[in-house]
Amino acid sequence: MIRLQGLTSRGQSKKFARIFTLTPYIFRNPILPALFLFIASCGFNHETNVESGTRQGILHVGNGDEPRELDPHVVTGSIEHNLCMALLEGLLDRDPESLDIVPGVARAWEVSEDGRTYRFHLREDARWSNGDPVTAADFVYSWRRALLPALGNNYAYMLFYIRNAERFHRGEITDFNKVGVKAPDDLTLVVELDNPTPFFLQLLTHMSYFPVHQATIEAFGAPDERGTRWTRPGNHVGNGPFKLKEWVLNRSIVVEKNGHYWDAGRVKLNRIVFYPIQNATTEERMFRAGQLHITGTTPLDKVEYYRQERPEVLKLFPFFSTYYYLFNTGASPLDQVKVRQALAMSIDRQQIVEKITRAGEIPAFSYTPPEVNGYRAEPGFSYDVERAGALLAEAGYPGGAGFPPLELMYNTSEGHRRIAIAIQQMWKTALNIDVTLVNQDWKVYLDKRDARDYQVARAGWIGDYLDPNTFLDMYTSNSGNNDTGWSNLRYDTLIAQAGETTDRERRFALFREAESVLMTDLPIMPIYTYMSKALVSPDVRGWYPNILDIHPYKYISLVQSTD
Amino acid sequence: MVDRLDSISVSPRQDAWRRLKKNRPAMFGLFVLAALVTLSILAPWITPYSYAEQNLELGPSAPSSAHWMGSDLFGRDLLTRMLYGSRISLAVGFIATAVALLIGVTWGALAGYLGGRIDALMMRAVDVLYALPFTIFIILLMVVFGNNIILLFLAIGAVEWLTMARIVRGQVLHVKQQDFVEAAVSLGLTRLQIITRHVIPNVMGPVIVYATLTVPNVILLESFLSFLGLGIQPPQSSWGLLISYGVETMEEYPWLLIYPAALLSLTLFSLNFLGDGLRDALSER
Repeated sequence: MIRLQGLTSRGQSKKFARIFTLTPYIFRNPILPALFLFIASCGFNHETNVESGTRQGILHVGNGDEPRELDPHVVTGSIEHNLCMALLEGLLDRDPESLDIVPGVARAWEVSEDGRTYRFHLREDARWSNGDPVTAADFVYSWRRALLPALGNNYAYMLFYIRNAERFHRGEITDFNKVGVKAPDDLTLVVELDNPTPFFLQLLTHMSYFPVHQATIEAFGAPDERGTRWTRPGNHVGNGPFKLKEWVLNRSIVVEKNGHYWDAGRVKLNRIVFYPIQNATTEERMFRAGQLHITGTTPLDKVEYYRQERPEVLKLFPFFSTYYYLFNTGASPLDQVKVRQALAMSIDRQQIVEKITRAGEIPAFSYTPPEVNGYRAEPGFSYDVERAGALLAEAGYPGGAGFPPLELMYNTSEGHRRIAIAIQQMWKTALNIDVTLVNQDWKVYLDKRDARDYQVARAGWIGDYLDPNTFLDMYTSNSGNNDTGWSNLRYDTLIAQAGETTDRERRFALFREAESVLMTDLPIMPIYTYMSKALVSPDVRGWYPNILDIHPYKYISLVQSTD
Repeated sequence: MVDRLDSISVSPRQDAWRRLKKNRPAMFGLFVLAALVTLSILAPWITPYSYAEQNLELGPSAPSSAHWMGSDLFGRDLLTRMLYGSRISLAVGFIATAVALLIGVTWGALAGYLGGRIDALMMRAVDVLYALPFTIFIILLMVVFGNNIILLFLAIGAVEWLTMARIVRGQVLHVKQQDFVEAAVSLGLTRLQIITRHVIPNVMGPVIVYATLTVPNVILLESFLSFLGLGIQPPQSSWGLLISYGVETMEEYPWLLIYPAALLSLTLFSLNFLGDGLRDALSER
């Protein structure tokens, strides 16, 4: 290839040098030169994934790990969200750059004066990938399914803003007609809310509100059955810009352009290949070798290199998210507030972000990230080793004596491991507590979290919409994403009150008060605010850094970069 | 010990030792191993650092006068971690090999000497265990018994004995047809006495050689298991863990890979030299 850049050209000129110095030895053996020429010719003529992908409109993406499922009403992770975003589309969508709400399946909508009733007008040309029209009834069906108690949707609480949705989910009412979702005709959807919810339109862009295809779901099982074969290639029917083509376990998931998609004219990519690469170092090497257009992250040690040498491919920006540890509050010794406070106070977050993660992360002393949409969280506690020791003593473990060894679980990744090793030692030094580290695959890790089969677990949360509520309402007692077993009536009340309040300042004051409850009881221990560290090839257009770190594939195109 | 025979007759063991002493690579290997064992035992007195204590302020630093082999990502002295790591790696290597030796020799000698249906039965058991995928077998053992260093030694030993048993059986089949065994039988010795006093000492040559080759295998295996997260636990270290972590950062902090890898290679060389030397010393009759 003629186009050589950066590392590649340097690497190859070195290879040339070596070939020439070795020549006299090599040519004594008749087979070797032939072999060498063969290998060399392979090396030079073979197109990389990125080169051929850019030419053919195939995007190669590192997607972290094998997804647990592709069912939007079952999954919760960002890995799965990336896939759902390609395969399905909600009523509304977001602009990839400004994150403003733009029409999706709904082409227009009206809000009643009291802010409690929404009327959506669906576009006529919205189609499923098998050609069926997407109707308002599909949304009623899908939201009902998302709320079915037996489905065990962790995200069900995202729909609780709809009138009677929570009661339906709890099984208090079984007649879905009483829930505030109606389809007066095929193209009109009327939604009634309990309270005027300022972020309701944002919720509609989230996968928990995505539609699913009724006939497909029911061909492979009951509506509230998890893990049926409807999400397999060949079976899957979606309404997104892409459709599922191939899913090879631990190798790749391939989606291709959906010809029935209403806005297919805008979709530039022909295919996307998602690779489940757990290891950031491997991922970065693949990126450098031209095997990937986009990586999920950059290895901790490589950030500095890219910042200096190739700033154009490193997309480094803070986003609306928190890296934290969960405490399972159901069992001794973590059921004691003082123990949790001692653990949270005794780690040096500044050191962790400066010496381990090293990409400019911000130490977190509150669960919601520092500032979003005008909400500012107060730090709920501080780094104070002495106070931590005193608290541990008050809890009955002076100097760590008699404290049972803790187990810290994280999903396999060298970044999580390093943070865990640092925290393990900080707890040992500050509190004399022994910690064992357990790493698990993403799927096992999620299952164990859901089953609350852990003591301390690493976690990260990315806001689903731009409002502090997306962080704070997940630790209410009735939230499916509250994996800590913690429940606090005062907290629940404050969050509920905030939900009923329309005045912005009053609402934020309630959130702050709720957060101070959360940060006193500490069922979770914030560590830092994430930085997004994706590597993006210069060939990729339409990928914008944004605070939610979502990059809809619909808008991405590939253009051969000239350098 | 009372020297009853005159000094002209030299026992086979002394003879072998004399030959081994003349073999320079083997003596080099022996010396390196002895030095490593001594250093790893004396680790707390050699280094002023702790293998667990972190110095994040320092972070990864290149070799210097304070840290002869540099420090790792957490500012821990690499030399210290290698010394403490050699405790684990060498212990795994030798204990697991000893376990393999014990089970393998007993099993193989019994099967070979008793012969017939018992032999067939015992060796088929070995075949069945052979057929089990090795990693899965170890993972199963770990799941049942938990993640514990002693069990790790035993688990690895419990897998490595299979080949040993086959080698020993083959040798025993050969040895038991020799005249001295017949003589022992005619003298009225019990089977147990014959096996322990006459058969096993005569198959030890190949067994010792194979054992020295097993040690490096097992050290590498521990690396592999630690890589999978089944071996030892942070903050402890072993050569395998150091190398696997070193690989992650080999471009930024090459010393974190080079030193542990060099040490492992040196050990493997030494063991192989020693193994070769022992084979020569024991088989030259």
